This record gives sequence, structure tokens and C-alpha cells, in this order.
Amino acid sequence: MKGLGTVISVELRLAVRDPMSAFFALAFPAVILWMKMRNGGTLPGGLPLIEAYVPMLSVFVIGLATLVVLPATLAQYRERRVLKRLSATPASPAMVFGAQWVAHLLLAVLGSVVLAVLGLVAYGMSGPVDPAAVVLAWLLGALCLGSIGLLVGALAPGGRAATVVGLAVFFPMVFVSGAMSARETLPAQMRAIGEWTPMAPVVQAVRAGWEGQGLPPVAVAVMVAIFLVAGGAAVKAYRW
Amino acid sequence: MTVIELNGLTKSYRAHQALAGVTLSVGRGEIFGILGPNGAGKTTVVECASGLRRPDGGTLRVLGLDPRERRRELLQRVGVQLQEAALPDALKVGEALRMYASLYDRPADWRALMAEWGLDGKRRTRFGALSGGWKQRLFIALALVGDPEVVFLDELTTGLDPSARRTTWGLIRDMRDRGVTVVLVTHFMDEAEALCDRIAVIDRGRVAHEGTPGELVARSGAGGTLEDAYFALIERNAS
Ligand SMILES: Nc1ncnc2c1ncn2[C@@H]1O[C@H](COP(=O)(O)OP(=O)(O)OP(=O)(O)O)[C@@H](O)[C@H]1O
Ligand SMILES: [Mg+2]
Repeated sequence: MKGLGTVISVELRLAVRDPMSAFFALAFPAVILWMKMRNGGTLPGGLPLIEAYVPMLSVFVIGLATLVVLPATLAQYRERRVLKRLSATPASPAMVFGAQWVAHLLLAVLGSVVLAVLGLVAYGMSGPVDPAAVVLAWLLGALCLGSIGLLVGALAPGGRAATVVGLAVFFPMVFVSGAMSARETLPAQMRAIGEWTPMAPVVQAVRAGWEGQGLPPVAVAVMVAIFLVAGGAAVKAYRW
Repeated sequence: MTVIELNGLTKSYRAHQALAGVTLSVGRGEIFGILGPNGAGKTTVVECASGLRRPDGGTLRVLGLDPRERRRELLQRVGVQLQEAALPDALKVGEALRMYASLYDRPADWRALMAEWGLDGKRRTRFGALSGGWKQRLFIALALVGDPEVVFLDELTTGLDPSARRTTWGLIRDMRDRGVTVVLVTHFMDEAEALCDRIAVIDRGRVAHEGTPGELVARSGAGGTLEDAYFALIERNAS
């Protein structure tokens, strides 16, 4: 794993340097937050909107960074023989995966920080009630969704295909899993479908931590299980 | 002392046999040239010897290690410049060298390499904005960034301007004088003649001829330059 830190810092810089991924991971979620907050108000049950939307959209950011940007980057690297050059060094597939995952996780951290600052400064956000639980849930979510992103990146034949697959996985999921519209406001049927997406336990766990309700054990178990299965499959499917 | 030993190497890509039993050996501190027509199997030999491809049959040892078994260990001590490779377009020259250096246990001084290969002025230039020849120079420098004992250079000076070629030749000789073993694939006969201690001519997946440039010229009976000898030898091999 020699050089992991250097590779991560370089990859993060490349992600931020790319106008598309910088816009989608950093600016786009903030714009959505602004649109959602225009009318203000509370959710059914009395929770102020901002206490729901910041944790929800932070999951949206994890999804964008790890399900859309990450697989596109990895598959493009393979298509353009960037990975081939790397395969002629002592770097291992595990190190490439690790570096990609951490770099895109840090991209999502940046996007989430933008959301939190906006929430604090512009909308009087008071949460999270249990910051440690939120961080833990968020990291588990990044592992769970990131392993799916790595799997897509390992299998996709090229950058374009990976982007198409990534978007096709990401967009339906954010709508039905409650990352973009609060679960409480979704039609029952949609919510029932959403429960089956890998993003649902992430939204559930991050919001539960945010509201100080402790982490739901089932959601945690599902995230860990997805990480193990998808991560294992990604390692098996990896090609330079 | 022998540092590269290939014995009866075979490799097929589906139905197409790229290597039909390649046998050759390279001694420490040699500059060994590989010549041959397009599609002869030169790149396949280099990729098998450096552990990037698995040959189907035959035996091979590089620095005493079997690249099939000890690939990662070998890649600590071997540098490769690939014929076809790329870096991310947005990656800057300095970043590329620093990052690749970080992957090795005992890397060379990447700043010194950057200066040696004239890349100082391009340090902040993105890979995507480099011209072909500058990309080539960066790839040569990246092949050396692990301070290798053996370097494989596939199409060393393709795309370099005449003065960069001459500079490159000088730097390759310096490397040899420091004890580094160099295997270079080239299509330039003047380059092979000027640089190589020994040469293998590969044709249709086999070593058709092997020897010093002088021996090849003598064997061809064509006299003159290595280029004349090369054509005579390839033609003889075809019939
Ligand atoms: N990945 C591959 N899949 C299928 N066939 C391949 C592959 N790589 C090489 N070949 C075939 O194997 C043969 C040898 O290829 P190789 O690249 O080793 O030749 P080369 O001597 O390096 O040629 P050049 O001078 O054009 O670089 C060629 O016929 C080529 O078409
Ligand atoms: Mg070739």
C-alpha cells in the first residue's frame, strides 16, 4: 500500500479539478437545498425541514460521488490505459480501489461540508443531535454505496458506459429512497419500493443519528452486508 | 551475469499466435535491442518479461524471479515504458512523477529525473496539454522513477525530435554505465546501431537473428549499415 496517501491526494485534486464532478458534487446539492428551502416549513411530525434536508442531501452527495463520479473515473482510466500504466508499477488493485474510494469519499465530505455550512449560516440549522452516530452512519453509507460504485467501475467497458450505468442506478434511487424528498412525504407505494434500494438504509441511519434516535441495527446490518458482497465482487471483477 | 532469460516463450491471443517460442538472454549492464516488423511480437515479449502478460508456455526469469509468480516484487526493480499508455489528462507533470515515485520502496529522486529529462519547464503542464514528444519524455522518466535495475523501453524515441533523440541516447548510455540493464524496442536502425550492445530481430513470433550489430551486418553479407543488413536478413527469413 506504499504511496496510498499520495495517490489519494492526487486523485482528490483531479476530481476537484474536473469541472463536471466538482459541479455535481459540490454545487449541485447546495442548489437543491436552496430550492427545497425556498418555502421553509416543517415535515409532518414537526421536524424543521433543514434538519431533514441536510442529512438527506449529504447521502445524495455520497451517491453522486461514489455511484456516478467514481465508476466513470475508474472505467475511463481502464479505457484510456491509465490503469495499464499503473499495472507496470508495484501498485496493487486493492490500492487502486482504496485510493479511488477514499478520494471520492473526501469529495463527498467536501460536498457535505458545503451543505452543513449553508444550513448553519442561511437556515439556522441546529442538528445533528448525535454527531458521532451521524459520522458512523455516513461512513458506513459511503462504504456500502462506494462498493457498488467500485463494482460498476470494475465491470463497465468504458467511461461512457459507466456514466450511463451510474446515473441509471443513482437517479431512480435518490427519488424513491428518500434522499431527495423526505420519506415522510413520499407516497406509500414509492416508499415501499424505495425500502429495497441500497440507499434507503443509508438515509435512514444518517437521519436517525441526526435526530438522536440511535442507529437502527437493521439498516447498519444491511449496509455492512452490501459492502461485503459488492466489495468482494468488485475485487473479483477487477481488471487493469 | 544473466538478468533476463526467456526460454521457448509462447503466447496466443485467441486464435492468433503472437509468440511461437522466443528464446533469448540479456546480461547485466547490456543495452539489448529488439527489432522486427509491425506485429512481430516485440511488445508481447516486453509485456511478458515485465510481468504484465502471462505467457502460455515456456520459462522465464528476470533478475532471478519468475514474473508469473513474483510480479509485484519484480516490479519494484523493473521499469517499463509502454508503447500504449496514458495518464489522466488533468494530471500535471510534477504530480505524475511525485505520485509514481511514491509507489516504490526505494524510488529515484523524481526532481532530479525531471531536470535530467528536461521536464522542469513543464512541471505544471497538464498531461493532456503536452505534445506527443513531451508525453514520450515523461513516460521515459516514469519508467526510471523506481530506480530500476532493468528497464524495458518499448519504442524509445518514437515521436522525439532529433535533438531529444540524441540527448536520450546519451542518457541511456549513462544508465548502462551505472549498471542498469536496458531492453529497448525500436524501429530506428541508426538508433539500434548507435546504442545496442546486442540485438534480436523478431519475426512472426520467433527470434530470427541475434548478435552484435557488427555480427548481424557480417551475417547478412549485405555489408554497409545495419539497415541494409536488417532488410537482407528479414527477406531471407521470409523465403
Ligand atoms: N491484446 C491483443 N489481442 C489480440 N491480438 C493482439 C493483442 N496484442 C497483440 N496482438 C497481436 O499479436 C501480434 C503481436 O503483437 P505485438 O504488439 O507484440 O507486435 P509488435 O512487434 O510490438 O508490433 P509493433 O511494431 O506494431 O508495435 C500482432 O499480430 C497483434 O495483432
Ligand atoms: Mg509493439
